[in-house]
Amino acid sequence: MHRSFTLLDRYEIEKSILGILKDQFEISDPGMDDDLREKYKFDSIDGIELLAEVEQLLGFEIDQEIKKQALEIRTVRQIVDWVEKVQSDNPQSDNP
Amino acid sequence: MPRRVVITGASAITPIGVTKESIWDGLMQGRSGVKSIKDDPLLGEHLRSKVFGTVTDELTYDFERHHRKTMGPVSFYACHVAKESLDQAGLDQEFIHSGRMGVAFGSTHGSPSVQRSIYEKFFKGGDNKLKGIGGADYLKSMVHTTAANVARMFGITGRIISSCTACTTSAQSIGFGFESVKFGMQDAMLCGGADEYDTTTVAVFDNLLACSTAYNDSPEKTPRPFDEKRDGLVVAEGAGAVILEEYEHAKNRGAVILGEVLGFACGNNGDSLIMPDAAGIERTIRAGLQNAGIEPQQVDLVTAHATGTKLGDATEAMATASVFGKGPWVVGLKGYMGHSMGSCGVIESICSLMMMEHGKVVPTLNLENIDPRCDGIKHPGKIIDDDIKTVVIQNFAFGGVNTCLVLHSPHQ
Repeated sequence: MHRSFTLLDRYEIEKSILGILKDQFEISDPGMDDDLREKYKFDSIDGIELLAEVEQLLGFEIDQEIKKQALEIRTVRQIVDWVEKVQSDNPQSDNP
Repeated sequence: MPRRVVITGASAITPIGVTKESIWDGLMQGRSGVKSIKDDPLLGEHLRSKVFGTVTDELTYDFERHHRKTMGPVSFYACHVAKESLDQAGLDQEFIHSGRMGVAFGSTHGSPSVQRSIYEKFFKGGDNKLKGIGGADYLKSMVHTTAANVARMFGITGRIISSCTACTTSAQSIGFGFESVKFGMQDAMLCGGADEYDTTTVAVFDNLLACSTAYNDSPEKTPRPFDEKRDGLVVAEGAGAVILEEYEHAKNRGAVILGEVLGFACGNNGDSLIMPDAAGIERTIRAGLQNAGIEPQQVDLVTAHATGTKLGDATEAMATASVFGKGPWVVGLKGYMGHSMGSCGVIESICSLMMMEHGKVVPTLNLENIDPRCDGIKHPGKIIDDDIKTVVIQNFAFGGVNTCLVLHSPHQ
């Protein structure tokens, strides 16, 4: 069955990611290019938790192989880029 | 050549207090930490025992998020007592990170509350049963979660030992830590155990008819170690940690020495996994004394395992009488706080240090009429002033495990 999702624009993704980082990871107002691992001790366990939050945000399950690529990500800007791409690559998404 | 091992830090969380002062006050006042069991939507209606040794003091933690994220409630307890005991010992950071210090810490089965949340997510998960199970849930709940989180939080890089032998867990932690230092593998060990508030453990013992049920309306009256009207154990929560350190190392840095570990023994009954065994207990006590290099008559005080079960207390009293007669005082500290499972050995060791420090022996709470089968040992009956130099701490666990620790006062 085909299911449709509302696409988030880049501003909404960034705002949501910053909200998740603040609420779930106690990271407030990070710089877009801060290395989260170095500055906030954000490790692979956090990455797994963040991926679960991103799936909830997007409303669909992300393929395991695509998730593995995300574990190399270090900055908020890279997270937003990745989420934007995952969303646009999702075959179930409706293009606006 | 074997080295001397001393205690330079100690901290406990118990149902009667979470500071040295409040725990001692609880013992002096004869205060019970047993309360009515908390409401539990999963198991509550099935449990016959409605009492629990409950920590009521509010604990505040200042642990950072990157530490907290891998910790279930049991590790919060473990890291709290670890921090307090390290603070008291005053070891410098360079030594703590040197690899010459290790951790021996355990719990009965990791974090049951986290395990329960995992199963809840799994069974309610619909098509994707694993969805919602967090990336850190295993680290929070695994059986060595306390040891791992303690080592990580404080950057302790030496050996890791994580006993999980139920009620002998923390006695083994101290014993194996003692051996690690005594034989030169480490210069210091942070040792202890913790168990969080958990009704599944009540269910386990309740199912085996080992829990107290006759005092559900008057929780403070149970457990009743060695008493004629005892009717079973009371599960409790708690935690404790001690810093064991090589004597010369402690002396050279001017550390305050709280006591010395003279000996340790651990044995198995080699038979039933649940029935107490007088021969196995006696064998372990005698092995502990031999390891310490002392005779039974040199022991001033025994803290008995004494959970308040009919058979367990009688068997222990018989075995203890066989070794010591009516020589040393014998106290069952679980009368005050219930049976804190993986942490009972270290908590009873810390209470023993307090009795040595204050020169007082506390009576077994709720012991009103001694069961004739438990009358072969010397019960204090009231607070006794006595110069306590040498203490034996006895603990036994499901699985047929027996332990015996021998501690000595810092004063010769």
